[in-house]
Amino acid sequence: MKHLRHLVIVTLLLLTMGNAWAQDETAEAPFETPPGFASWDDVLQQAKGTTVNWYMWGGSDAINAFVDDFYGTVLQDEYGITLNRVPVADTVDAINLVLSEAEAGKTEGGSVDMIWINGENFFTLRQADLLYGPWAQTIPNSTLVDWESPAVAFDFGVPVEGYESPWSSAQLHFIYDSSRMSAEDLPHNYDELTAWIAAHPGRFTYIAPGPGGYMGTRFVKQVLYHVSGGDEQWNGEWNPTLYAEWSPKLWDYLNAWKPNLWRSGETYPANENELAQLFANGEVDFAMTQATAGAGPYIAAGLIPETSRAFTFEQYSIGDYNYVAIMKNAPNKAASLVLANLLLRPDRQAGHIRPETGFGLGYAIDINRVSDDDRAMLQKAFADLGDGAADPAALSAAFAPDMAPESQSIIEADWEANVLRK
Amino acid sequence: MSSESNPSRWHIAILLAPAVIVLLVLFGGGLIYSLLQSLGWQPLIGQTRLSLDAYTNLLFSPDYAEVFWSGLAFSLWVSGLSTVISAILAVAIALLIYQTARGIRLWTFLFQFNLPVPHLVAAVGMLFLLSQSGLISRGTVALGLTSTPADFPILVRDTAGLGIIIAYVWKETPFIGVIVLGVLRSMSDSYDPAARNLGANGWQRFRYILLPLITPSLLSSSLIVFAFTFGAYEIPALLGVRFPRGLPVTALRLFTDADLNARSEAMALSLLITLMTSLVIVVYLWLRGIAERLT
Repeated sequence: MKHLRHLVIVTLLLLTMGNAWAQDETAEAPFETPPGFASWDDVLQQAKGTTVNWYMWGGSDAINAFVDDFYGTVLQDEYGITLNRVPVADTVDAINLVLSEAEAGKTEGGSVDMIWINGENFFTLRQADLLYGPWAQTIPNSTLVDWESPAVAFDFGVPVEGYESPWSSAQLHFIYDSSRMSAEDLPHNYDELTAWIAAHPGRFTYIAPGPGGYMGTRFVKQVLYHVSGGDEQWNGEWNPTLYAEWSPKLWDYLNAWKPNLWRSGETYPANENELAQLFANGEVDFAMTQATAGAGPYIAAGLIPETSRAFTFEQYSIGDYNYVAIMKNAPNKAASLVLANLLLRPDRQAGHIRPETGFGLGYAIDINRVSDDDRAMLQKAFADLGDGAADPAALSAAFAPDMAPESQSIIEADWEANVLRK
Repeated sequence: MSSESNPSRWHIAILLAPAVIVLLVLFGGGLIYSLLQSLGWQPLIGQTRLSLDAYTNLLFSPDYAEVFWSGLAFSLWVSGLSTVISAILAVAIALLIYQTARGIRLWTFLFQFNLPVPHLVAAVGMLFLLSQSGLISRGTVALGLTSTPADFPILVRDTAGLGIIIAYVWKETPFIGVIVLGVLRSMSDSYDPAARNLGANGWQRFRYILLPLITPSLLSSSLIVFAFTFGAYEIPALLGVRFPRGLPVTALRLFTDADLNARSEAMALSLLITLMTSLVIVVYLWLRGIAERLT
């Protein structure tokens, strides 16, 4: 029961912060059927006996096996669809493939049906108008998604507008090793972290903000929330005046850490895996995660010690959703729609948060919108996350939304100029 | 000579055509497309006005200039030093092997065994070996020489590019060395004894006989190494730091930027890198001209 209450709190938080945007964004009428299809039955009919090419980051064997098994088998057995998961080293490789096809004039019969995507790449494909849609609110299980929440309706601040459908949610927090330090010594906010860094020279670093290091960008935004005394003022439209006022203080704050950071802040890990490696090798004492299952997926993959635990600061833990998008030149839109719908099915959602999947990310659906049985199942899955996960109550209490999309590249460039190169 | 082995110009043109067509279409086509994109030609986002903005942005704008000029200096430093060290080591080792009386085949094999190793693998290997928590560092901890990873010197992902240089030297020394060794082997056996008889000491024999003989191939292989390392991506990407970073790393970063507008700068930078490596070839031809006049 406790967990249900926490989930409700998250939902309420998402709803309240969404009010400002929700009013003008949800005014338009919901779409009836996916563009090009007469009905959902029509979609199922056309999808039967086909193959769907799903391009996704393939760097984790656990996630690869999980996707093939957990979705591929069901697709085949229940819908007669063959899942062709195409692993890419970096999602941007799939994006470049789509862009190259467009440049070559291939407007039909492309090689990519669906991509597991984040806000940056979504922005790129929207900029080039290469996505199929709007469809996300036409698939049956989209009724389980809280589209009125801006955290769902905006991806890195880019309006989703039905061109991608959520798969799971993520929230940035930290990992420590319980065999190396005790829970009482953990910092609970950024001022305590500052003191901790000063007391433990060389034992802390964060991911460099920038391409591939969006968790680092998110971390820096969390510090900005702290330095500027709250996240509410950053909600909604990008505010250059506010940023001009607070960013110098943010850089001062980060630069003050530098002498006591790992490698004195002359370089930073480029992504979460490099940071996890430093953590596992005992070079630093904190890693970062976005998984609801916390340290669980890393532990299951054997990357970090089994004594690793996740925890969050009391405030400013930025969370968001990740999505799947269908290409405009996708050869098999029908099967892609069926797969996107399957991703949202409550039993699949309850399964994907488990740490041993290597995925371990949070729900994309709102548990208040599902049946009682499904709700019980989703709650149980949440309760079974294990020792590696952070306290869900603490996570929902600390939840903060991301900033407007402009912030992403501005903060990355300014961090490089004002912190890295200083 | 028979007529078969002395074909007409026309004949040569036909024989070369497949290779030339592939080069022209694939390389030339890519080059022209890159040039267009660097001038702002991006119909995908409705951008078809041509301008030199991307180039002026790269060289002078506050957003890019610092990254460009520091990157240029960094790339020149890394490539220059890697080439010089590799060339010196290559000549030294080739001479040693050449003068070895026994086991010459074994030594030659050992010297060149890493030639087929891809640069990517070399980079990852260096990372495992030389990082602060790498194999060597673990060894020094076991021996009691260091107590924590932080005690170990920073050899990879360092701001001076040491890790990149070490990896390049490891990869390119055998490359230059094998070429030099080939020249030494094909040399007539009589030069050395003759010089010895005339009273030349070791240094003189090296300076006045061996060096002039190996210079052309040493120079050309060194310039290949310089041009290659200047434009290569994987080793600086894996063993470098975020800043300063080599030009090719910045080029790919701009190419994969979420904002498609940055592709113009990415292409402009790639073309500037191409231009600079082409300059190396011009310098090479010029140096070879001088060398030929001297001999």
